[in-house]
Amino acid sequence: MTGQGSARPGPRLGLSGTGRAADELYLIAHHEQTGRPHLAPRAVGLGLAGALLAELIFSSAAIIDAGTVTCNGLSQADDPLSITVAGQIAVESPPRPVSDWLAFLARTASAEVAARLEDDGYLTAVPGRPWRGARWVPADPDCAFAPVARLKAALDPSRPGDEQAVTVAGLAAACGLGPRLGLYLPPGTRYCIDALVGLLDPGLHDVIAATKAAVDAALLAHRI
Amino acid sequence: MSRTRTAHPKPGAVSRALAADRLGVPAVLFFVMAGVAPLTVAAGVIPTAYATTGLTAIPAAFIVIAVILAIFSAGYVAMARAIRNAGAFYAFIAAGLGRVTGVAAALVALFAYSLLQVGLYGAFGPNAASEAAAHLGVHGPWWAFALGAWAVVAVLGLARVEVTGRVLGVLLCAELAVIIAQTVGGLARPAGGHLSFATLSPAALGSAGLGTFGVLAVVAVLGFVGFEQAPVLGEEAKNPRRTVPAATYTALALIAVVYATASWAMAAHAGTGHVAAAAAAQGPGLMFGLSGSALLSQAAQWLFLTSLFAAALSFHNSVWRYTYALGRENVLPTAFGRTSASNIPKAASLAQSATGLAVITGYALTHQDPMTRLFFWLGTSGGLGIMILLAVTSAAVAVFFARNARGESIWARLIAPALAAILLAGIVVLAVEHYAVLLGVPPGSPAAWVLPASYAAIAAVGLCWGLILKVRRPQIYAAIGLGAHAATAAPAITGRRP
Repeated sequence: MTGQGSARPGPRLGLSGTGRAADELYLIAHHEQTGRPHLAPRAVGLGLAGALLAELIFSSAAIIDAGTVTCNGLSQADDPLSITVAGQIAVESPPRPVSDWLAFLARTASAEVAARLEDDGYLTAVPGRPWRGARWVPADPDCAFAPVARLKAALDPSRPGDEQAVTVAGLAAACGLGPRLGLYLPPGTRYCIDALVGLLDPGLHDVIAATKAAVDAALLAHRI
Repeated sequence: MSRTRTAHPKPGAVSRALAADRLGVPAVLFFVMAGVAPLTVAAGVIPTAYATTGLTAIPAAFIVIAVILAIFSAGYVAMARAIRNAGAFYAFIAAGLGRVTGVAAALVALFAYSLLQVGLYGAFGPNAASEAAAHLGVHGPWWAFALGAWAVVAVLGLARVEVTGRVLGVLLCAELAVIIAQTVGGLARPAGGHLSFATLSPAALGSAGLGTFGVLAVVAVLGFVGFEQAPVLGEEAKNPRRTVPAATYTALALIAVVYATASWAMAAHAGTGHVAAAAAAQGPGLMFGLSGSALLSQAAQWLFLTSLFAAALSFHNSVWRYTYALGRENVLPTAFGRTSASNIPKAASLAQSATGLAVITGYALTHQDPMTRLFFWLGTSGGLGIMILLAVTSAAVAVFFARNARGESIWARLIAPALAAILLAGIVVLAVEHYAVLLGVPPGSPAAWVLPASYAAIAAVGLCWGLILKVRRPQIYAAIGLGAHAATAAPAITGRRP
């Protein structure tokens, strides 16, 4: 499986995307025209939290060891949000389990990833109503939908596995986006994703499993 | 330029942030009480129980059952500290008595909660029809209004639009206020000018024979259904060791006081010897007319409808969550464990909706009385199922802690659960033996054995299915009772019985 990790992000809007896992997942989780989430807010937050951890793993800024998250060096992180998350992990002692980081990051992940995408030109902030906070609308529907198309191409069985694509697909399925992906991916892709997730680096596998558990727990505890 | 924050992180920030997101005792207590639907019990269950059973010791039953449930709760909350699973009953039973028994318990729980949910339409229908006729001039059969409520619940269940916390809170407070006001009014106007305490006396529980205590206990347990939900929020609680027990015991006390005094007020106002006849004649009106205030009576009638609807929606959501949890573990077909858009387990929600539609249609086509035969019969049968689960859970708690005390007191891990198991099992036996009295039918009537026997049948199916899973699908069998944590490598508990 080729490990493309997190490519250095481009500052301008484009069909190729930013190359960051959380950005890809955010766009998949929201409608490409209205910007409305396809999931409950807490589920989106947990999925994006998992994606932020995955970004750190891809850049070797963090490692998962025995279910706990440890910072591996702030210099590896390559954007302010990743640096912030890596810094938060670095100061926690003893290291916390993945589930704690998911719960912690999920509180603000949606807004922070949206802000990052806005900086890169993919989203436009729309003023909110008094009873509702600000929301973001895709600047270009084609670019907003492109991550789904990239996933479809990356998960093609005839192509070498893309570690980031599989991770994004796994996180998407974990937080409840399986039916949405099922609309655009070939039949049976769900099982293909499960199989590919099983081949991932153990740390990434742990993050995806923990995300799934967190979303399930929130649903069963009436928090979603 | 990025606006993402670059604040210097401080140690302990994660702990503080996680703590802020957790639920305290008031939030958990509110969650429990909102599911209890007090006016549904006070105006629906209690008058119907008086009328159907003819027994008058209902107030005493609430007090005695509250004490028994408090004993049960000692072991229950101790178990909740050891097991992180929102599907408390079956997870605890699986951990204590084995996964095969756990599967049987899961199906029994699903059946019991489903009966409780569907039965509510039997009260909503006729009362909504009455209100519509009186205030809107709209006349229609009870089942039309029941189907209307069913349709709204079905749609809201698919949209995952739970009645918002604030709306539920307002309704809950209003219901409690109305019940208290009516109770005070009723006690202030006792029959014959003399306030009788006879129905509060535990001695009254066996006045018509020991078996009647079992009947009264089922009615009382029905009033407490919902108190067992506190561990559902255990993982979300600020301090699970304190929050869950505090919310559980507070809920028990609150429920006991409200229902015991309300039912006492009804008996005192109508007269102990006349309350059954009065309840048969007035139905929920027995509660609505306690204070003699027309305004309060009308408010109570409207809140009764909102209470029934909120309870139907709340139980619908609880049933599909249970179904989803079992589908996730593959105890039920996997389709039930999948979510569609917006994290809705569509199949699980539709299954419960289909059940409700079938039951309402069946009762409508057979022209059966909805208040007695749908609301009370299915409701009390659901209560019997809950009581069975309470008894088996108590036994499971004792067995679980016998393997590993986990630092729990001997009261919590052995004495309380053993005592609760014996008392609850005894009550179940008494109730089943006198089920005809509970349903208000002649001894030997088919309903008197079909309804309780259905639990035996479902448990048998569950045991068989559990054995099949153990032999033919060991991976699925191994994950039974793990709940959401089945997705991770670490189990929810240690020291599980294979």
